[in-house]
Amino acid sequence: MKRSSIVLRCLVLVYVMALLGLPLFFVFQQAFSHGWAALWAALHDHAMGLAIVLTMKVALLAVPLNVVFGIGVSLWIVRRPSWLSHVVDVIIDVPLAISPIIVGLILELAYAQSGWFGSTFARLGWKVMFSLPGIVLASIFVSLPLVSRQVIPLLREVGDHQEQTAATLGAKPTRIFFTITLRSIAWTAAYGVTLTLARVIGEYGAVLIVSGNIALVTQTLTLNIGANFENFNAYQGFVGALLLAMVSVMVLVFIGVARHRMERKRHDSFA
Amino acid sequence: MTVSLNGVTKTFGHRLVLDNITESFADGQLTALLGPSGSGKSTLLKIVAGLTPLDSGQVVIGDRDVTHAPARDRHIGFCFQDYAPFRHLSVFDNVAYGLKVQRVPRDERRRQVEELLGLVRLEDFANQYPHHLSGGQRQRMALARALAVKPDVLLLDEPFAALDAQVRSELRSWVRSLQRDLGITTILVTHDQSEAMEIADRLVILNDGKIEQAGKPSFVYDHPATDFVAGFLGPLTYLDGIAYRPHELEVGAFGEAGENVRVTDVTRLGFEVRVTLENARGETTWVQLTHDEARALNPVVNQTLVVRARAEHSVLTRTSQH
Repeated sequence: MKRSSIVLRCLVLVYVMALLGLPLFFVFQQAFSHGWAALWAALHDHAMGLAIVLTMKVALLAVPLNVVFGIGVSLWIVRRPSWLSHVVDVIIDVPLAISPIIVGLILELAYAQSGWFGSTFARLGWKVMFSLPGIVLASIFVSLPLVSRQVIPLLREVGDHQEQTAATLGAKPTRIFFTITLRSIAWTAAYGVTLTLARVIGEYGAVLIVSGNIALVTQTLTLNIGANFENFNAYQGFVGALLLAMVSVMVLVFIGVARHRMERKRHDSFA
Repeated sequence: MTVSLNGVTKTFGHRLVLDNITESFADGQLTALLGPSGSGKSTLLKIVAGLTPLDSGQVVIGDRDVTHAPARDRHIGFCFQDYAPFRHLSVFDNVAYGLKVQRVPRDERRRQVEELLGLVRLEDFANQYPHHLSGGQRQRMALARALAVKPDVLLLDEPFAALDAQVRSELRSWVRSLQRDLGITTILVTHDQSEAMEIADRLVILNDGKIEQAGKPSFVYDHPATDFVAGFLGPLTYLDGIAYRPHELEVGAFGEAGENVRVTDVTRLGFEVRVTLENARGETTWVQLTHDEARALNPVVNQTLVVRARAEHSVLTRTSQH
């Protein structure tokens, strides 16, 4: 092996360790620093438990909605292009370009009881801000392009010949979607889903604004961790961080598997 | 089943792709839609299949007006140039797809798929996936998949274009005999005139969205209706402003009847020899000789010979060379 290549590898390793490995290690170290009993007690913290439940609720609502939206909008942009779909294609990246905190403020402006739509919703008796719908809305917003940005290029690459062939064989559109389209984008969509899941679980800024950060009520796990640090309860914060980190590692493993499958599929199709 | 097109017109944006096409494709025949790229031939095929909407006109299959019927109700089989294999399904499941849609019972389905796989000689590949197959095998799988639903009409879009030369000529004659055996009305799109001449009962030659000529291959070859058809179906050579097929001119030794010409080039093309000639006025022409003719005459550059039209030649259009 060339010397320059060894140096390069070492640099990459040091960089990754400094940025990811060491902080992650400290999270684990801190969470285990008071022993198993303390950890066990901390895991049963009431506020954190409620925060975990809320985060799971948000994920269960936001992720499926985003997947349906992501796949639907991808099909629209690729298979039925129009000037409107081109506009949407550009707009859909906005959540990646602007800071989550601004997303939160925009949503508050629109949906707070005095806001543009918020007043209408309030009259109907729906509370959007400082409650579950607002948090779900913010989570969807920040993860909006994560599925479609994966699926759009694949749909373009796969083309519509398989779908058209299925149509000539007598298949109806829904059947074509489930037996042909969805099957050919499944692993790529799954990759997008895990990215979405990671983003939704980990979101802080936008959710902080729209939820009002009310302990025991609208506090998601990330907000709970933040609150614990601010309230000089760093240990409890580290335990929450440990849980989040473990979810992230699981997501990473799944992403690794999905990418592997994806690349194998692509490789196969060009063999 | 007979396919009839009546005034089919199609525009993409401001471009007229098909201009009032009226044509009939006879029952049981193999018709080649022949034309250069951009002539509208693939669009026409997709309009017959119902995969592309038309602007105006009528598509009739048998006695059914299918102009507004979706592809799934037209009883057609369609093969794309890239064969569009269902990548995630095995060869067996690819072929079974249409039968599943038709809710053919499982055992009956298995029996039919096995029969089809035998027909296209892919019995041993039933459990393989499309990426394990060669180009020719994928094409045969696509054919079996299309034939599984017993279509009234088979539509093939450039079926041999993506194959290498040897496989192509094998598959061509195989598809031809399969089509004859099944007696299925077939429309095949191609830009390759030799392929169309070899395989088709009838040619429909398209250029710029219009039908230039339709008829039996040999007739169209000998009696092209337009300059475009004459030039597209085979090479032309000109003598005194008249277009001939290269083999319709012959050369003789100096002193024989004919126009005196000087040999400027001799090129051997395998079995045939191409001789380029120039007359006293500086006009060039070329002739194609068989190996035997070339050996007898032994033309060399700068030699003076005579050139004349053979006794039995088809008179092509009288066009100026320039």
